Amino acid sequence: MISVKMVWRNLMRRPLRSVLTTLSITVAIGLICFLSTVITTLYSGIQNADNRRLAVMSAVGLFVELPIKYQAAIEKVPGVEMTTKFQWFGGYYRSQKNFFAQFAVDPATLFDMYPECRVPAEQREAFQRGRTSCLIGSALAKEFEWKVGDTIPIIGALNPHPDDRAWEFQVAGIYHSEVPNFDNRTMFFHWDYFEETLEAGGREPGVGVFSVRVAPGADVPRVIADVEQAFHDSEQRVDCQTEAEFQRQFVTMFGNLPLFVGWIGTGVLIAILMACINTMLMSLREQGAEIGILKALGFTDGATFGMLVVQSLVLCGLGGLIGIVLAWATQGAIGTALGTTFPGYTIQGVTYALAAAVTVGVGLVAGIVPAWRAANLRCVEALRETN
Amino acid sequence: MTQAMIQARKLTKRYKRGGETLVVLDGLDLEMSEGRFYALMGPSGSGKTTLLNLIGGLDQPDEGSLVVADEELAHLGGAELSRWRARNIGFVFQGFNLIPVLSALENVELPLKLTPLSRAERRKHAQFALELVGLADRMHHRPRQLSGGQEQRVAIARAVATDPRVILADEPTGDLDRKSADQVLELLGRLNREFKKTILMVTHDPHAAEHAQSIVHLDKGQLGRVEENAPRVPAGEAQRSVRT
Repeated sequence: MISVKMVWRNLMRRPLRSVLTTLSITVAIGLICFLSTVITTLYSGIQNADNRRLAVMSAVGLFVELPIKYQAAIEKVPGVEMTTKFQWFGGYYRSQKNFFAQFAVDPATLFDMYPECRVPAEQREAFQRGRTSCLIGSALAKEFEWKVGDTIPIIGALNPHPDDRAWEFQVAGIYHSEVPNFDNRTMFFHWDYFEETLEAGGREPGVGVFSVRVAPGADVPRVIADVEQAFHDSEQRVDCQTEAEFQRQFVTMFGNLPLFVGWIGTGVLIAILMACINTMLMSLREQGAEIGILKALGFTDGATFGMLVVQSLVLCGLGGLIGIVLAWATQGAIGTALGTTFPGYTIQGVTYALAAAVTVGVGLVAGIVPAWRAANLRCVEALRETN
Repeated sequence: MTQAMIQARKLTKRYKRGGETLVVLDGLDLEMSEGRFYALMGPSGSGKTTLLNLIGGLDQPDEGSLVVADEELAHLGGAELSRWRARNIGFVFQGFNLIPVLSALENVELPLKLTPLSRAERRKHAQFALELVGLADRMHHRPRQLSGGQEQRVAIARAVATDPRVILADEPTGDLDRKSADQVLELLGRLNREFKKTILMVTHDPHAAEHAQSIVHLDKGQLGRVEENAPRVPAGEAQRSVRT
């Protein structure tokens, strides 16, 4: 009943205050989107894990290598359909600040094990053919402006080249994954190239992780137990776990980050709520006499209540909308800045919904307190202030 | 015989201040006819504004009966009273009480939002009301861009925009210079004469009261004397009236 124009002009009565309040909501909603996405990114690997895939690593820890010969032994365990191996390379491009994940892999089995790793057929074949070829993620290609055919020199910090120079890889293909547990900022290269080069320098390579696919219908806990049992009396015991459990290990490496981030988010929310209530109470103080006039003209308590709530919703809604748009627009840059710490940083639809709900919630709560007061303001008392 | 527009019987209103009860209206009996212009006078604290607020439905009496525009106000609840006020009462305040963020036209249009009129009809009504008070050329000005007299004329246009039966004016000339005050009083007189509005004006100013047909005195919450008056009619208007 009371026009949007009037609501808007009431907000613009103190433009600086309204702009500052809107900006504070923008920052808060942007921050909530960021913090929430950090959590969803952390857990996305667990949520999207394939329940038929297992990871086998040393029982001592992830950075202790397993012998290559274990692969054949794992494949003999009943219920195992296929395996592939990974070894962390730990190099960097030109300078240590250009860090990203590189893995030595078996090109023959990689794509069968990870069908989510999408790459054009001709590029896949080129990668499988070329001994020094590599496959890079689309995010990595974009970040370093690499294209198919480029030669990438990588300094092997963990695995120095025996000729004391950079390892050289030819980009044979650029993969893209739509699932967050297979990030687009990784480089894969030939196991054979890795093995032969290290052996030339007198080193025998080991395997960081064997990826195992369980046959359809096989009992996964039974297969896990059998794999671990197979190496019970070997030179190294192994830890076999589901892909989800394996991903969970990375999450726990950050400590209780979700709780910590949750507390920060709650703190931001309370602070912004207080700021909005304060702004709306100041608005009520300025508009108190006018609310008396509106009531004298015949507007009901409900109409004045609605006016203050709508005013608060417009103020918060505008700030929240800008915050959500900014969070959406900057997610690529933030994802790049976070790099391998939070690979696959992408704001999910549920996060946008959460941000929108928080915006509306703050708007309603901040508006209800002054609106309630306005509705209960006695017309005669409000008018007495002006006359 | 003219019908009663306002009828008060044993009207009582008390306020509590610091544990003390003040009787502002003390069993007041009053009757005011439809289509007349009344001035309500009395010393400070005599209950003038309180009576005006009760008649306008802004406040509720503690005891007694108050019938205004054929409605017993004691029987109406909050929202019903608001709707009744929107239909029947136009207010003119001493401090003008315009909404500062709205233009003159938007201020006048505001009470029309409570009617079933379309946007175009509301605009038309508001423009007519502003033309009536001689401010057609100030429609798009905000209140702070107007003089005190012009603001009060916008307030009068807002008061009559919905065509209410009663106009209640609380010291409408209290904040105005003599010339602006005369313009406002002449406007109120014209609304009474030409549009048959029942007007009740609270004033301290005997000069303002001369524009009314009846001057009602209040003293200590009770009705005092009632003087009949022959209000001044502007010369031009008197000649028009003789011709017709």
